[in-house]
Amino acid sequence: MAHRSEFLSVRGVRTHLLHGGRGEPLLVLTAEFGSGVWHPYLDRLSAQFRVLAPDHLGFGESERPEWLDGIDDLVFHYVDLLDALEIRATAIIGVSVGGWIAAEFAVAHPERVRQLILVGAAGLKIDGVPRYDLFLNPIEDILPHLFHDETRAAQLLPTEYGPEVVVRAYRESTTLARLAWNPYLYNPKLERRLARITAPTLVVWGEQDGFLPLAYGEAYARAIPAARLQTVPNCGHLVPFEQTDEFVGHVSEFIRRP
Amino acid sequence: MQFFYFHLMPWPDLPADFDRRYQSSWVTLPNRIYDPQRGQHLYNQYLDELERAEALGFDGLGVNEHHQNAYGTMPAPNLMAAALVRRTSKAKIAILGNGIALHDHPLRIAEEVAMLDVMSGGRIISGFVRGIGCEYLSLGVNPTYSRERFYEAHDLIVRAWTEPGPFTFEGKHYRVRYANPWPRPLQQPHPPIWLPSQGSTETIRFAVQHRYPFVTVFTAYAHTKRLLEEYKAEAERAGYVAPPEQIGFALPVYVAETDARARDEAKAHVMWLFQRGLKIPPNWLLPPGYVTEASLRKFLAADMKPPNDLSFDELERAGYVLLGSAATVRDRLKEHWKDLGFGLFIGGGRIGDMPHDKASKSQELFAREVIPALRAECVA
Repeated sequence: MAHRSEFLSVRGVRTHLLHGGRGEPLLVLTAEFGSGVWHPYLDRLSAQFRVLAPDHLGFGESERPEWLDGIDDLVFHYVDLLDALEIRATAIIGVSVGGWIAAEFAVAHPERVRQLILVGAAGLKIDGVPRYDLFLNPIEDILPHLFHDETRAAQLLPTEYGPEVVVRAYRESTTLARLAWNPYLYNPKLERRLARITAPTLVVWGEQDGFLPLAYGEAYARAIPAARLQTVPNCGHLVPFEQTDEFVGHVSEFIRRP
Repeated sequence: MQFFYFHLMPWPDLPADFDRRYQSSWVTLPNRIYDPQRGQHLYNQYLDELERAEALGFDGLGVNEHHQNAYGTMPAPNLMAAALVRRTSKAKIAILGNGIALHDHPLRIAEEVAMLDVMSGGRIISGFVRGIGCEYLSLGVNPTYSRERFYEAHDLIVRAWTEPGPFTFEGKHYRVRYANPWPRPLQQPHPPIWLPSQGSTETIRFAVQHRYPFVTVFTAYAHTKRLLEEYKAEAERAGYVAPPEQIGFALPVYVAETDARARDEAKAHVMWLFQRGLKIPPNWLLPPGYVTEASLRKFLAADMKPPNDLSFDELERAGYVLLGSAATVRDRLKEHWKDLGFGLFIGGGRIGDMPHDKASKSQELFAREVIPALRAECVA
């Protein structure tokens, strides 16, 4: 499917948006890896929905404003983005860190979320269930660790490590650290607040997620009132990248018949 | 020229399979390797070496702060300074430095340094550092705020030392409604502040702006020279000539009876320092946001091989260390002095896992045969 790349000024902040397809809007809050690329899963979804996939501020080609220092800033930013696009309510997919933003968005603005799909979402911390440390390990180790079949990581690894690639990766990890260094990738208040989510919710989790183990998916499904957990076999953390067909199938079925 | 005897207080007893088994001597090296019984012996021996440096005629003694590693077992340098205050009487005690951005209460550092300054009769030099990248992993401090916290902690500490209290400090990272530290420092307006640094453009500018001495860290000679030239050029842009007493050169030195003997005796310990003590993955040295994009680009463009990839000959040739007879060390330092114009020399004394007897011999030879000659000859 054809897609377009655009830059919007959202309350003065330069925001890169990829979009394609027609019909009901579907806001995709992407993972912290592979920003700014129209990935196959986005393309497949755009056959059925109007897919909107912005680069998070400080990722891909979106600006990182100096004031950005928490997930709440991104929640406000996405409220502003929906307003700018004149979208009142939408289905939202959030993957990994994007899943954390989506969960916080749905907590703060339940009326603007038609359906919520959380995929390997960060944001929670369960005692005794360790999470892989993205800040301790080098990027070339991290991506294979996020896949059940390590060879599938190739789609997200740069083909060469020139200075521009290194600087961009450093900029993105700096944004991530600004948001999630300590507490590491979670908001201690989020779990209690998840009960405020009103949208029908699908929690999608790779059965072999080596970053945020399945217990995190179970915790989300337990805490959100109208949630159901869909596990994906033979799959690591990044479900849309590793089991694209199955992922797109679950999403379309859920949005049509939540 | 002033000579400082600098100690890292390393943990020398790494397991035989360290090279194979552990990715670093920092952050994740299990602290079960540390043996407190042996630690007691080492701490006392290290302090003895520092005390002896005063007796041998060094102008100052240097300690520093590093956390959770085998490279330097001195997480609280002010404690070591306190131990030295009561056992020495003339030497300056240089804390190189307190990792002010790593701690949540800069007032505590202002208080401790002021205490030390009063107790020592004004012998304290107060270095400030950001702490190295690893320490942001070890202490959970967000590295993206490192620089902001450093500047803000600096401002709070200097105000605490100089401004009549109580006053209110409302920063982004630190807020104190009643800053009013007792005691006040003895040296006025405050103990000298030095900035030991790996030399980011931002830190060099900050040092120049405040006329703080800039002290290089253990690195290649060419890199040291580049940084000191940048510092001098920046000072000229700010309208002054950086005097020698603002220029600090740090270098591990080993002196023995002959050049061949010095190299032979120091080799294993130099390799320990660079291949084990400084075995650090690049992403721990530069955690996210620890440096600006401009500094990262400068670093990438310099294309330096990490010192742990260098052979002994390469390390020596590149000037990471200075090893030789007293005559060689003297001549070389004199050349460096002409080339760099430093007025502060911070000599690394006990290199890596070097035993006490070697360190003591080198210390004595340096003090008796190198320092007096350089003092006489290196006069601007």
